[in-house]
Amino acid sequence: MDMSPYRDLFVSEAHSHLSAFSELLVQLENAPDDSAAINELFRHAHSLKGMGATMGFEQIVGIAHLMENQLSRIRTGEFRLLPALTDLLLEGGDTLSRLVSLIESGSDAFENTAGLAERLAAFDPATASDGRLHTQTPPVPEDTVQETTSQEKVADSHVFRHSDSFKSVRIKTETLDHLVNITGELITHRHRLAESVRLADVATSTSSLNQLAALLRDLRDEVFKARMLPFSTIAERFPRLVRDLARKQGKEVNFQLEGKEIELDRGILEEIADPIVHILRNAVDHGLEPADDRVTAGKPFCGTISLTVRRDKDHLEIVITDDGRGMDPERLKQKAVEKGLITDEQAARMSSPEAYQLVCAPGFSTAVTVTDISGRGVGMDAVHEAVRSLAGVLTIQSQMGQGSSFIMRMPIAISIIHALMVQCGPFEMAFPLNVVTHTAELKRSAIRGTDRCPTIFLDGAELPFKSLRRLFDLPEEYSGMQGELLPAVICEVAGIPTAFSVDRVIGQQEIFVRPLRSPLSHLHGVSGATITGDGRVLFVADVNALA
Amino acid sequence: MNRTVMIIDDSLFMRKIMRGILVDLGYSVAAEASSGIEAMKNLHTYHPDIILLDIILPDSNGLDLLESIVAACPDSKVVVCSSIGQQLVMQKSLDMGAKAFIQKPFTPEKIAEVLEGLGN
Repeated sequence: MDMSPYRDLFVSEAHSHLSAFSELLVQLENAPDDSAAINELFRHAHSLKGMGATMGFEQIVGIAHLMENQLSRIRTGEFRLLPALTDLLLEGGDTLSRLVSLIESGSDAFENTAGLAERLAAFDPATASDGRLHTQTPPVPEDTVQETTSQEKVADSHVFRHSDSFKSVRIKTETLDHLVNITGELITHRHRLAESVRLADVATSTSSLNQLAALLRDLRDEVFKARMLPFSTIAERFPRLVRDLARKQGKEVNFQLEGKEIELDRGILEEIADPIVHILRNAVDHGLEPADDRVTAGKPFCGTISLTVRRDKDHLEIVITDDGRGMDPERLKQKAVEKGLITDEQAARMSSPEAYQLVCAPGFSTAVTVTDISGRGVGMDAVHEAVRSLAGVLTIQSQMGQGSSFIMRMPIAISIIHALMVQCGPFEMAFPLNVVTHTAELKRSAIRGTDRCPTIFLDGAELPFKSLRRLFDLPEEYSGMQGELLPAVICEVAGIPTAFSVDRVIGQQEIFVRPLRSPLSHLHGVSGATITGDGRVLFVADVNALA
Repeated sequence: MNRTVMIIDDSLFMRKIMRGILVDLGYSVAAEASSGIEAMKNLHTYHPDIILLDIILPDSNGLDLLESIVAACPDSKVVVCSSIGQQLVMQKSLDMGAKAFIQKPFTPEKIAEVLEGLGN
């Protein structure tokens, strides 16, 4: 029988069994006597074995069978799930995943599974270490701890690896049907419009145009919906990740994940996964104290790390909190001074929340010892950069001895945004509305401060003032000047209102933002581009970079 | 008229393979079910002549489901499918009213043989 037509289905079903298997296994470690979960694990292994046998993949059948056997022993109450067996079963799941990926890619590469098979077959609870912390190192290759002063890591640390795991997505049939319906209606109205234009029938043209506009709004909404994926798409691997990191460090962690059902734009998911991993790594590695220190400090032996996702209207908040040692603002300042990032005076004036932000400064976190857990060349500066590229804000809170929180707040969708269009000399530019607080007319005479750092008094507060003309190297004087008054857009930049003077505020518009590719991606002060109705290309302002 | 079959298996992959084999053999696949609940619902709608039941399902013990099916639809012939090494379960399912069993991995020939052996 030719099984090749069933290969894709095998691969996708095998992958979903395997990811559910690993996730469940990690959960089970906290509740080893949950018999329903053990049955479920057994079912996954059993299904994999049956599917593999049907396809004739003997290696998969062999490993799955041995895993099933061990689970069967737990199911019958012969012994309890021990950490050492969890390690072995996770390794088995990982191996099966790799074998399935090999099948998926059509590669004829061979992975030797004999060693794993032997260990799975020979596992004996009586001789296995009880897997308590400090007594065993799981079989994960350990990089050597080394000092690094490498500057190139700082240089390329701004770009996270782009995963390709989102190349294909599943879309609900219902959504696709809606898209087809809307497309059909768009075609009908397009013909109606063409006909009324041919007949110079203004009334019918206008009505068709209105219909087209309404249909396009529907189309946009449906496409948005189709782009949404639950946070669990990326979060499923986090419990496992935290568990493995903690075990390597000889720490015990209770990991809590909340809001994994919340749906996000896949563009955001793609960008935010690595920064979250980085913060989780930091939390396990640096945030949580060794168990002995925790007990001495009167804290529970087991540390807690929580990852919470919340939606608040058009914004998304991802919060990662640990109950570890917290950060010492004075030590952070001292380190920043030593590295020449700030002066003594700046350090003296700096508040604690500002001091926590220092960890995001380029060059701050990369030049410490690198372990294989954190410090893979991406520092908090890259996390900060990634959040900013999503038009988001990263806030850090910490309490000495109590723990730290990393809060990432960003708009829910990134590709279609409301923007305020402004004119400056020959340029038109779009300011994303989520950073604009309001527009104002400023008095030239109210500009204060030094020439390098001008400020302006507005509604009783002193704001940093930036002239867009100056930022674009345009002459400050121009013919259309409205005398004493300067139109300005007030934006919130890292929590601080900042005034940008422009020639003219044109108005609000919904725009589709396209990312800039090299060499345009190196342009300072712009985050993307959009194409206007009449075909011109406008840049989207990156106010953080302009400020 | 072709005999009708319902396939009960939690794996879409398995259902599709089984469906392919059955259609080639000239059977009509009236329904598929991925869980016990779905199976019982379909049972009342389609009254299939033959039911292929995978013994490990997510929401029910396969044997409990077998009992419910036999009670609800005594005329349908239930064939239990499972992997090797489940002989005890197989024997038990035959005692409970299943007409035959098929061991995974199956071949089209094996399925043809078992289904023909059921008689009319």
